[in-house]
Amino acid sequence: MNTNEHEFAVPHFGQPIDRFVATISGEVYAAVHSASAIKSDKRAQLLAADYADPLKLRALAGQIKQHTLDHLDRYLPQAVASLERNGARVHCAADGEEARRIIGDLLQQRGAKTVVKSKSMATEEIHLNDYLATRGIESVETDLGEFILQIDGDTPSHIVTPVVHKNRRQIAQSFERHGLGAYNDEPETITRRARRFMRDRFLRADAGLTGANFLVAESGRLVLVTNEGNSRFSLSAPRLHIALVGIEKIVPADRDLGVFLNLLVRSATGQQFTAYTEFISGPRADGRPSGAEELHVVLLDNGRTDILGAEYREILRCIRCGACMNICPVYRQASGHAYRAVYPGPVGAVLTPLLAGEHFAQFADLPKACSVCGACGDACPVNIALPDLLLRLRDRAKRAHAALSARGTPPMGGFAAVATHPPLWRAALTASRLANRLPLDWLPVPPLRAWTRRRTLPEFRGGAFRQWFKQRGQQ
Amino acid sequence: MATKEEFFATISQALSANSARAPYPPYADTDLVAKPRVAGGSAEAVFRKNFAAAGGVTVSDLGELKAELARHDTKRGVCDPALSATLGGLDIEWTTTFDRQRPDDYAVGATIASGAIAETGSLILKDRATCDRLAALAPWVHVAVVRRADIFLTLPEALTRLGDDPYVVFATGPSKTADVEGILIQGVHGPGAQIAWLVD
Amino acid sequence: MIVPADRATGKKVQLMATCLCDAFFDDVAKATVQVLEYLGCEVEFPEGQTCCGQPAFNAGDWSAARRMVRHAARQFTGSGPVVLPSGSCAAMLFHGASLAFEHEPDFATVSDLAGRTWEVLDFIVSGLGVKTWEGTCAKKIAFHSSCHLRGTGTPAAARQLLGSLRGLELVGHAEPEQCCGFGGTFSVAFPHVSANMGLLKLQNIRAAEPDLLVAADMSCLMHLRGLAEKQGHPLPVRHAIQVLRDALVAERKIHHE
Repeated sequence: MNTNEHEFAVPHFGQPIDRFVATISGEVYAAVHSASAIKSDKRAQLLAADYADPLKLRALAGQIKQHTLDHLDRYLPQAVASLERNGARVHCAADGEEARRIIGDLLQQRGAKTVVKSKSMATEEIHLNDYLATRGIESVETDLGEFILQIDGDTPSHIVTPVVHKNRRQIAQSFERHGLGAYNDEPETITRRARRFMRDRFLRADAGLTGANFLVAESGRLVLVTNEGNSRFSLSAPRLHIALVGIEKIVPADRDLGVFLNLLVRSATGQQFTAYTEFISGPRADGRPSGAEELHVVLLDNGRTDILGAEYREILRCIRCGACMNICPVYRQASGHAYRAVYPGPVGAVLTPLLAGEHFAQFADLPKACSVCGACGDACPVNIALPDLLLRLRDRAKRAHAALSARGTPPMGGFAAVATHPPLWRAALTASRLANRLPLDWLPVPPLRAWTRRRTLPEFRGGAFRQWFKQRGQQ
Repeated sequence: MATKEEFFATISQALSANSARAPYPPYADTDLVAKPRVAGGSAEAVFRKNFAAAGGVTVSDLGELKAELARHDTKRGVCDPALSATLGGLDIEWTTTFDRQRPDDYAVGATIASGAIAETGSLILKDRATCDRLAALAPWVHVAVVRRADIFLTLPEALTRLGDDPYVVFATGPSKTADVEGILIQGVHGPGAQIAWLVD
Repeated sequence: MIVPADRATGKKVQLMATCLCDAFFDDVAKATVQVLEYLGCEVEFPEGQTCCGQPAFNAGDWSAARRMVRHAARQFTGSGPVVLPSGSCAAMLFHGASLAFEHEPDFATVSDLAGRTWEVLDFIVSGLGVKTWEGTCAKKIAFHSSCHLRGTGTPAAARQLLGSLRGLELVGHAEPEQCCGFGGTFSVAFPHVSANMGLLKLQNIRAAEPDLLVAADMSCLMHLRGLAEKQGHPLPVRHAIQVLRDALVAERKIHHE
């Protein structure tokens, strides 16, 4: 299951995301909205400045990723062979439970008590930290944003900027509460305090835990794209490195990284390049004093293969840049926690119900939380037709009679019946004029109430155009 | 736990329903280059420009390095043994091994870079050429010595020549974060200042 | 957005008025007829027409949507262009229907309709080759480029035609890509999200201090106008085709019936 332990409860009425928005604090809204707008603008400006035709580059990225997914039966065995040739040990996890157990066993067998963890959505997806705690292993989040969430018992609300829903005041209070110094909300002071606190954790940790942005089939290289240096530390100080990698992360060759790195970084943070791009293809070089002596790669399926075989497969192209959520007008109102899962925004609204497998209906409302504005599809660096996937999932939810998806949507069967019988349609148009004399605000028709609470209705003039058109024909 | 064979078989079976598999698209490495980034002169000139844009500082001789280091408190440092003779002229107390018991004792770390990338303003740090990963990472100031001849003009050139080193880092300026309200802060867990010393 | 290449054009056109104009905004449909006739078109209005199917399609009821699209395809027979004063209804016919009919036996019939469908401003500029519009409109206008116009010729056509009117000033506004929040049944299933999106849009538009808000889709305008009026601070709105028609009337090129 792909749920978040800290999710808000699904309300008894209304669409869950709409109820969440009804109660969101002004602070959270302001933080999320402005950060999203800034990131979206930077992304668009940078791509336009650097490439004559950014759309051509993203089309290429989409094709390469789709090709890789469509030939995963070839590229995955190749990646495994390459990793093993490089001296890595490979483990295969069909689901989150297997992945957790594999990682837990590896750590326990080596007597590991503390691990330092670099930001990884795959580990969030399988709720690794909570599991490791049950086995007596402390997992320390080292990315600044993730660290703030960990000390707060909170969860990421964004896949790239996990703490975007908190402002400096809230962060400073958390630091004070956790003994990291007297209240100080200067971002620089907060950052320095995290640096000082984490040093010791890095150097004493028994293992470093990471995800991967890419896994290159031909070379067996894991690629990590980061900014803070925490993943470098996680791979330099401890003796053991475990990487949890979703099977959709594979790209064919080193050369293809040029396509994806250029697009990922610009789309994710509006930078040309992140501070650190790490390429890991094995344990440390002979005779070096630092770096892991053992490298384990855990390949994670966890529902991905089910998606691979169905009509939604292009969602697996996703490189987790977050551009779709940054630009999404619904996400900007709702923030990431409204989506009740690890992946928020448009990509989450597609991925979460699909990864939920047999629990699809519990998340069938997410694809409805969208005005079909299409902005996400335009922003996606791997050309995923997100709006189309969201619409297809609405159709699927309807066919599956998913109650949560249907909440609040007026039934369309009656409308379609009238709209396919012209005499009925014309009669309804004429009759609609009567509505002008009714107190519509007070009628107990839920969709009408939902509309009129915040907006007025225009005057009904049903059939007026038809009358005009007919009359002038007779003149 | 699934065996590799079971794992592969599940994927093959899922793909068997996919009748139209996408072909690998043809493209040229030059299609990937951000042309405006590489305009304006030699690989070195382009590197200097882009490295500066990423927050890095380039120096060309010991004097320039000394002046740059003077901007920081650099009493003690850790350096590659191969550099200790050259760097001895600086007023810094150098050691050549990183002592994990005193990680914050080193204000500056000096290591040898394997190359650089002009297009992105990145240093290429390879495990076999780096004396100690921690020496290039833990100190506030990192000085990377890089040969001019090892500067690639474009990112695709560097990516297709990663070689067989087990750990390669493209370091593009100091470490940074924008996790607090999107405000850029340099110097998180890695260096707060990144210096490239270009040599022949 | 899939916009069919080489769409049918010509001066014998069929008008799809759209359900919103049929029920509320008759003057928009009227203006469409008047402008097309001024340009020498012969306009036919198939009486049996109803709705393009978009509300059901976006609501996830694709079976109902297909019934409506099939009905539309039966009303709009022939080979000439089908013109609509709505970008989203046009997009339903050339993009939405292609998704909903992917596995249907009558996909070809629906594709044929898609290949004849035009949003009216796009039709005027790209279908009929009209590049400028004569007349005067001494107003500051904010143009909302509706979401369903993405990837179509309409936004450029609208700016080109409106921009050529004497005295008309097109003012930009912040976050121009931001959706108005309507989204069909989305507006009633997600009333808070929808209204907040619309209020943000209104705030950005109002900051530009326009005399008039113009769009090429009455659904967005109905939403924004309704929000503004409920706020007690009405905002004048007009479809772009009405602005073009009004200019013709002012120039006495046509008589407003």
